[in-house]
Amino acid sequence: MSTLSYKKLDAYSTSGDLPDKMSVFQKCLQEFNASPINAKKCRQLLAMLLRLIYNGQAFPSQESTTLFFSISKLFQHKDESLRQLVYLTTKELAATSQDILMVTASIMKDIQQGDMIYKPNAIRTLSKILDATTVSASERLLKNAIVDKNPIISSSALISSYHLLPIAKDVVKRLTNETLETIQSTKYFPPNQYQLHDYYATNNTNLPSTSFMYQYHALGLIYHLRKHDKMALMKLITSLSENNSSSLKNSLAVIQLIRYINRILADDEGMINVLYPILSSFLKHKSDMVELEACKTLIGYQHLLKDDQFMQIIGTLQKLSSVPRTATRFAAIRLINRIAFKHPEKIMVVSTELEDLIEDSNRSISTLAITTLLKTMGAGSIESSSGVDGGENVDRLIAKMTSLMDEITEDFKIVIIEAIENLALKFPSKYKRLVKFLNDLLRDDGTLELKTSIVGALFDLLKFLPDAEAKELILMNMCEFIEDCEFTELTVRILFTLGEEGPLTSKPSYYIRHIYNRLVLENAIIRSAAVVSLSKFAIQCGGEVSDNIRILLTRCLNDSDDEVRDRAALAVKFLDSKQKKLLVADTQFDLGALERKLTNYLNDEANFNVQFDISEIPIITKEELKSLEYQKKINRLDQPVHETVSDEEIGDNNNKKNKSTESGENSDSATNELLKQQEYANELSTIPEIAEYGILTKSSSTPIYLTEKENEFVVNVVKHWFIDSGKLVLQYNITNTLPRSVLEDITVIVQSDNESYVEEFVIPLDKLGPDQTGTVYVSFSIPSITEEDSDILCAFGNTVAYTNKDIVDDDGTVDSEGWSDEYQIDDLEVEAGDFITPLYNSNFTSVFDQLPNAVTSVVAVSNCRTIENAVTKLKTILNMMPLDGSDFVSSDTKNHQLRLLGKDTWGGKVASQIRLAETGGKVVAKFEVRSETSNLGTYILNGSF
Amino acid sequence: MSLNISLYTVSAVLILDNEGGRVFAKYYQSPEDPSSTDGPLSNLTGQTKFEKSLFEKINKMNQDIILYDNHLVTYKQTNDVIIVVVAKLNENESLIYSLCANLLESLTVLLDRAVDKLTILEKFDMVALCVDETIDDGIILEIDPAIVVSRVTNPPSSSSLATDTGSLKLDLSERGFMNALSFASKKIGERLQQGL
Repeated sequence: MSTLSYKKLDAYSTSGDLPDKMSVFQKCLQEFNASPINAKKCRQLLAMLLRLIYNGQAFPSQESTTLFFSISKLFQHKDESLRQLVYLTTKELAATSQDILMVTASIMKDIQQGDMIYKPNAIRTLSKILDATTVSASERLLKNAIVDKNPIISSSALISSYHLLPIAKDVVKRLTNETLETIQSTKYFPPNQYQLHDYYATNNTNLPSTSFMYQYHALGLIYHLRKHDKMALMKLITSLSENNSSSLKNSLAVIQLIRYINRILADDEGMINVLYPILSSFLKHKSDMVELEACKTLIGYQHLLKDDQFMQIIGTLQKLSSVPRTATRFAAIRLINRIAFKHPEKIMVVSTELEDLIEDSNRSISTLAITTLLKTMGAGSIESSSGVDGGENVDRLIAKMTSLMDEITEDFKIVIIEAIENLALKFPSKYKRLVKFLNDLLRDDGTLELKTSIVGALFDLLKFLPDAEAKELILMNMCEFIEDCEFTELTVRILFTLGEEGPLTSKPSYYIRHIYNRLVLENAIIRSAAVVSLSKFAIQCGGEVSDNIRILLTRCLNDSDDEVRDRAALAVKFLDSKQKKLLVADTQFDLGALERKLTNYLNDEANFNVQFDISEIPIITKEELKSLEYQKKINRLDQPVHETVSDEEIGDNNNKKNKSTESGENSDSATNELLKQQEYANELSTIPEIAEYGILTKSSSTPIYLTEKENEFVVNVVKHWFIDSGKLVLQYNITNTLPRSVLEDITVIVQSDNESYVEEFVIPLDKLGPDQTGTVYVSFSIPSITEEDSDILCAFGNTVAYTNKDIVDDDGTVDSEGWSDEYQIDDLEVEAGDFITPLYNSNFTSVFDQLPNAVTSVVAVSNCRTIENAVTKLKTILNMMPLDGSDFVSSDTKNHQLRLLGKDTWGGKVASQIRLAETGGKVVAKFEVRSETSNLGTYILNGSF
Repeated sequence: MSLNISLYTVSAVLILDNEGGRVFAKYYQSPEDPSSTDGPLSNLTGQTKFEKSLFEKINKMNQDIILYDNHLVTYKQTNDVIIVVVAKLNENESLIYSLCANLLESLTVLLDRAVDKLTILEKFDMVALCVDETIDDGIILEIDPAIVVSRVTNPPSSSSLATDTGSLKLDLSERGFMNALSFASKKIGERLQQGL
């Protein structure tokens, strides 16, 4: 008795603890089956049930079904407030219960003649109960409900139909006319609709009579019914926006309309001329969410907009960034930040507003404002005239940031650090203040994560800043930092870097002293790192320094830790025998390739008979490594998705992962290229004919498509160069997209327009089934670059020849009769860029000046209207790395200088300085190319641009 | 940026207490987005983890909106509860924020200004109906708080008074006293206003 009464109490308790699941279950069965039904008690019990469900306490299928069954008894009761909750509970239980169809009849009865209060609930529950076989019975009901005069009934029916789309599209399709009609109709709530709550007391005169939400729901549904018919969609958009003041009265509906416009533009950018006026009319709307949505869409197509149109967007954003609603300000600054990735100069007009936003109470907003401002600053300084102003701006901004830094959380600090690093990398002239800022930050308290990100940023600056003074400044600061750094990991990293960079500076002894201090004061891990670092100084500086360090190292031989002793002994030994290479390496193995090779080697025991051959691993010089890192860095920093980081979750791995998949190919390509190369090399070496060619010099990084991607056959091609043996292998990847055909004897007929390219052999493909991809190889011998009048540039005409056989039945039996056919695909060109890989160097001018073989020429860049386009085009065609931030073009300049550096396949450097000028929609380029390999410059200029 | 073209807009509605515990949690699954049906938020452990770590970020911050773990999150803190609306990253920030603010407004009316954990639990039927009348399976059904409120029924009045005299009994607990006090102050306030 006592336990029972306790449980009974528990079921009604309102304390924070969850009621007991079983007792609620028992209680429900008892009350719902009682007669007469106590409406008030039942509603309380249902609420209790819902509380359990909304807390994640799902009922197992059997109990759920029992509950569902007993709840269905409540359909007998007349009380509308009970019935409303019954519908909600039914909806929630429908997913876990069986035999739910039994309530269909009761629900349908309610929809036909039920009370106004719970009729909408009944309609919405219907979509949860029906399955594909029973849905057609409800068609009539839904039809009537959609055209009902009561907006809430109409909305409910539309949403119900929307939920039914995945299971019964054809039934919902038959509701198209009713839905269309609803979009433009006007419906009002009946006056007796309102439930009166205490809150309103007696005054309900100013309650809204309609919210037009049904327009939004109808518009959402109609898209799915009409999405394949672009013309119909266009017609809908124009008819709804003709006099937008009258037809769409709901903001959400307008937003939905804007999204359709966005979708149409995504398919066909040419529509912008027709659609822009519609979108721009939404830039001035009474609701800020509509304005935001219009801005968002337009910014997605900013490359299609004219300057004055762009200013209109900025104007709207400017207004939105100063409204009191946090969410709106946040959205506006997010969008402004997005513009800043591409066109920082365009948002300079709002920089005053941005500066105000730094002090915003919402930290996400202030952080975004700072990162955005950092970007505009870079843009401002590139024009020489405003260079002075730029400097002042930096000072002011840094002052503001410094005061803010004390208040914000570490996550935000890390975002700001990244932005600063980005700015310093792109615009090296600004480094001094920024480095100082980072150093100050480093000295403040912080967690390991924060310090790691600062040190990481400083390391990158150290690597990529051209100025020797900057390097020393950073190194000195690092020395001071490790004097009292509590994080062993960081100290070790810094010691390593000091060993790498320190010996090359003007006064290495300064660093030696600091490193030696660590040797005396720190733990074993740091001591051993310090030993290695010192040995690097010893071997590179020579003379007296070397002798002194040797003495220091000899002392370490008595260290208490064996690792330190070992390292010291090794270092002394190498020093004595002058084995410089063992201490300071200027090349390293490609780690990615090494890892792959080793895994392959270890996976199969049969391999163990042969020694692992390390010579197969490509060796990268420091210079090449730097280029890779730089490219990766810049790519990562340039990704617009970066904006997601700008908010709270920096440390979150999940987030990072998503980003890298989004930013996809670009950011990873630099490092993956070598891996891919390795893969190609492996693949090619399995083909005996090609294996003879020896080492693969270079493969084109991304396959070039020679057909449209939605053709019957999709063909792409990769170029493989074997420079040493003078061969080119074209790898044609052919995909058969025809579902009912098998292709046999596939080959590619290649005709070159250059006689020096001689076809040697073709490896055809026997058979290609539906949705399969196969490869055809075609091999050429290529001319040597050193011969005077040979031409290495070439174009290939390609034709695919094959025998087509149809699949006659579902078992995949192939018709024995086939016919042979030929299919012409696009031409393939060999460009100068095929022989070049991007190379990084922080001092372009000195490299450029040292190179022999200069060639100059003036060319018009075809198909480019702006300098920005031309820069992108040249960069891709030549496959060289833009240096000194010269790939950044501010949109209103008419002149630009692009500096590119690369390494050719013959091992020489090639640099080009290109002056670009834009006149009357044409871009003219003056090339100045210098290369180590003679003739290469001429080929670069002979290429088509 | 691809915008969400479907009507499925909201990923979750949460009401958390002042320790990050669940008071109300409803996650919506959109058939058009596979990540909602088998992502980390599709099971209870993932959900609780998300709520806990989200709570750390938003508790007592009053920033209204943040981007968290690839979600757009808007929230409103009041008394000892936080009302949270979670949506996809590319959703219209202002729209989601309005939804959250309006949800709070509806609850304020329905719970007679007392949006706190105890009242929410006491009138859980109204809260559940209120959320259901605002969002139906991720689709925004109605955004205007006045209309949402009008759709939520009061619990059955004790029509069967004769059988249910218990409700007339004086509640002498501390809470009952507080209720009486707030009722009195409200009435007195109204009188005073009328007098003025």
